[in-house]
Amino acid sequence: MKKIHIIGIVLIAVALAVIVSTVSESSTYVTFGEAQKNEGRTFHVIGKVNLQKDFLYNPETNANLFGFYMADTTGNEVKVMYNGSKPQDFEKAEKIVVVGKMEGQEFHASQVLMKCPSKYNGTEAERTKNLTSSL
Amino acid sequence: METQFIGEHLQYGKLGNVFIILSFTAALVSALSYAFQVFRKNEDPLSWNRLARVSFFIHGCSVSGIIALLYYLIHDHYFEYYYVWQHSSTTLQVKYMWACLWEGQEGSFLVWTFWHVVLSTVIIIRGKDWEAPVMMVMMMIQVFLASMLLGLEFGHIKIGSNPFILLRNQADFANLPFVQMPDYLSKMKDGRGLNPLLQNYWMVIHPPTLFLGFAATAIPFAFAMGGLLTNRVKEWIKPALSWAFFGVGILGIGILMGGAWAYEALSFGGFWAWDPVENASLVPWITLVGAAHVMLINKKNGTSLYSSIILVTATFVLVLYSTFLTRSGILGETSVHAFTDLGMTGQLLLYMAFFTIMAIVLIIVRRKKIKDPNEDEHTSSREFWMFMGMLVLVISAVQVTITTSIPVINKIFGTKMAPPADAIDFYNSWQLPLAVIVALLISVAQYFKWKKSNGKEVTKKLTLSFITALIFAGIIEYYFRFPRVQHVLLLFTSIWAITANLDYFIRVLKGNVKHSGASIAHIGIGFILLGALISNVEKQVISRNMLNVDLGKDFPNNENILLYKGDTLAMGEYYVSYKGKEKEGVNIFYEIEYFKANHTTGKMEKQFSLKPIVQLNNRMGNVSEPATHRFLSKDIYTHITYAELDEDKNKADEDGYKEPKPHMMKEGDTIVASNCMYTFVLLNNNIDKKKYELNDDDLALGAKIKVTDVNKKEYYVEPIFVLRGSTPFTLYDEVEKLGIKFGFSKIDTEKGLMEISVAEKQSNSRDFVIMKAIIFPQINFLWLGCILMFIGSWVAVAKRIKDNNKGIN
Repeated sequence: MKKIHIIGIVLIAVALAVIVSTVSESSTYVTFGEAQKNEGRTFHVIGKVNLQKDFLYNPETNANLFGFYMADTTGNEVKVMYNGSKPQDFEKAEKIVVVGKMEGQEFHASQVLMKCPSKYNGTEAERTKNLTSSL
Repeated sequence: METQFIGEHLQYGKLGNVFIILSFTAALVSALSYAFQVFRKNEDPLSWNRLARVSFFIHGCSVSGIIALLYYLIHDHYFEYYYVWQHSSTTLQVKYMWACLWEGQEGSFLVWTFWHVVLSTVIIIRGKDWEAPVMMVMMMIQVFLASMLLGLEFGHIKIGSNPFILLRNQADFANLPFVQMPDYLSKMKDGRGLNPLLQNYWMVIHPPTLFLGFAATAIPFAFAMGGLLTNRVKEWIKPALSWAFFGVGILGIGILMGGAWAYEALSFGGFWAWDPVENASLVPWITLVGAAHVMLINKKNGTSLYSSIILVTATFVLVLYSTFLTRSGILGETSVHAFTDLGMTGQLLLYMAFFTIMAIVLIIVRRKKIKDPNEDEHTSSREFWMFMGMLVLVISAVQVTITTSIPVINKIFGTKMAPPADAIDFYNSWQLPLAVIVALLISVAQYFKWKKSNGKEVTKKLTLSFITALIFAGIIEYYFRFPRVQHVLLLFTSIWAITANLDYFIRVLKGNVKHSGASIAHIGIGFILLGALISNVEKQVISRNMLNVDLGKDFPNNENILLYKGDTLAMGEYYVSYKGKEKEGVNIFYEIEYFKANHTTGKMEKQFSLKPIVQLNNRMGNVSEPATHRFLSKDIYTHITYAELDEDKNKADEDGYKEPKPHMMKEGDTIVASNCMYTFVLLNNNIDKKKYELNDDDLALGAKIKVTDVNKKEYYVEPIFVLRGSTPFTLYDEVEKLGIKFGFSKIDTEKGLMEISVAEKQSNSRDFVIMKAIIFPQINFLWLGCILMFIGSWVAVAKRIKDNNKGIN
């Protein structure tokens, strides 16, 4: 058998293996409702933090437990518990992604990814303010 | 009537736009002229060459002109230009002004274009008969890159983004009444500034190095395409080889600089996080390493020509794909480090498609000539094992690419896949076995001779390094006890890669450095793998908090500790103490001291102190920057995960009091506050209403409270409960010295309890930090490896250049 054939076969086999493993290992972006239906499975949920409700963070008793309320894209609000310290500047995150699973009525997140306002796209008043303010 | 704006410097922008248009058209003219020189041999190729070179010169000057102008605008703070306003400010130190230049997308395309100009100049000077075909391809690339700055809009189609656009014309600001005012500029005090997160010396050196690496991948590609165009399907390899190794060295060091930056200044918690942006630049490096090796095979025995052409093409296209990933905004949810979309996605895709199709068409046209010789490589030949190594590298690149491309897959197929929940673990589980094979091949391949070798001889030569590696691996394994078999395998193979190549360098090459590029680079790779393995697998989070309630095995929550100012806590073999904080500009430095107990004297001895930073960053959100103490054998990495910032104190009222907290008390009760204790002494229903300016028919009750501070000094306060009509309210009384005030807000007549509201000043609460500390053992192997790999690549480049010169003579 010629080399080129070996390459072909090996590459196709590996590419298939990679695709299969990526698909099977990959998580899915879901809503809290769907995560609830598959309790115990790990998912990614995108949503917004409810800033009206208090954060559950008392570093003096437990620095490694941070809770907050978050609404997913359908508006369904769930209490999220994260097993780390409160991320710096959490209040400013526009949009967050939590990775974890539903446990009863709570979502236990092992990762909290924040999307911060990196590009400027505020209201007109904010834009003017931004132009004239001296940082 | 047109508004006459005051104080603008429009001449620079006009000149800049001239340069932009000139750089684009000159590149186009140069590409076409080179094409004529290549294809119309009988039509006075020399005059075409002259035209091509002149237009290249104009193109190069224009690109340099754009950079110089933009730098000048940033340096002199001309905020009427959007790019200047967006990326710089008056307070910026001069050393970071270059960083402003490439913070934005337009600037980073400029740097890339500039490096192409520099490398092309070398081609023109040294290329001889390769100049025309190679430069033709290079200038085609330049046409595309220069178009990224055009900033033309036809309806919905946008071509490029112009760095000289005026702020008042920029889409976000154009309709603001503010910028319609003639004197708007005098009211703008400052630019938005360079993101403080990026005000770091790495931001000055990492991007230009990485872009030089990117630019270097274009040259072997241009050689391959030029070779196919001029029907020299094999001959391109020899002159392109030194460029390939140059690319391996520069791109490699650029990527590792990014890793070092991430490790040192960003809180990734390590030097490699498999972040999509990191992956995007790693993949072309892997394929370039593969390409360089098969090109070597081809140079020796004429085989592997297909793989060479495919791999140099793949490398270049993957560089384009990497810019697409990081600049199209497609990574959105999976990476926080990507650029935002400037609406150039279509352009980038077109660019990728153009060069991919060009390569495919050329390969098909020349397929008969590219065909490999019929004989197959012998399994005891060096080329066979190098080829296998290339295959493993390709597999590695494919795995990283597919997993990183999940957002792209979602976009195309409308799926909702997310990256694996533990992405780092997923990448490692694939890449670790591949790394084992690569390390193994690095160890043995050099000992095989080209064409065919004697198996016994190879085994004999490998014995010494094998045994040495076994011993070292045994010692390290004894010390660390790696958790998995594949860790032990990688430990052994990476050490063997080091010993085998060292042995080769000493016994076979007799220490001749000039010929040892490969050995040195391979020793470097061995050290990189070894350092990555030990520092990653054996990293130890020493800031374990044992006191907390755990949420179960699957939900460990004890990697951070709380440290009060002045307190000392045990952490690993150290004791840590938080000394206090200091604000300097946008950075708050937290001083953490590390102690060790001296067992003979029993005293605490200070070892070192670290100052991790929390940076107040309005644009990216506050970020924390770790501090690391380096030992020869390990690093201690300390990182503030949470701290109460001054900004958090906005909950306090204007006198600095926090929100009062109610306590139900009866006579004789005592409660402890942060700096004192207080006792409810008695209820006083004989209040002098005149004194408190109360009405005669108000109902008023006083609560006599004794406050005792830590020095046993006593104070008395009397907050008053007032019922006016049916509305209750309270008159507060405070102990100013202790920063505490009391209110008497409610009476529970049934239980006989009084509600006393107590508010303390914010300044009373004890300052604390929550931090994470990690020990990275033997991470210095990694940095040592990087340096060796870089040196090795340069030695290889130098040798190729010398060989080529000899060949010409």
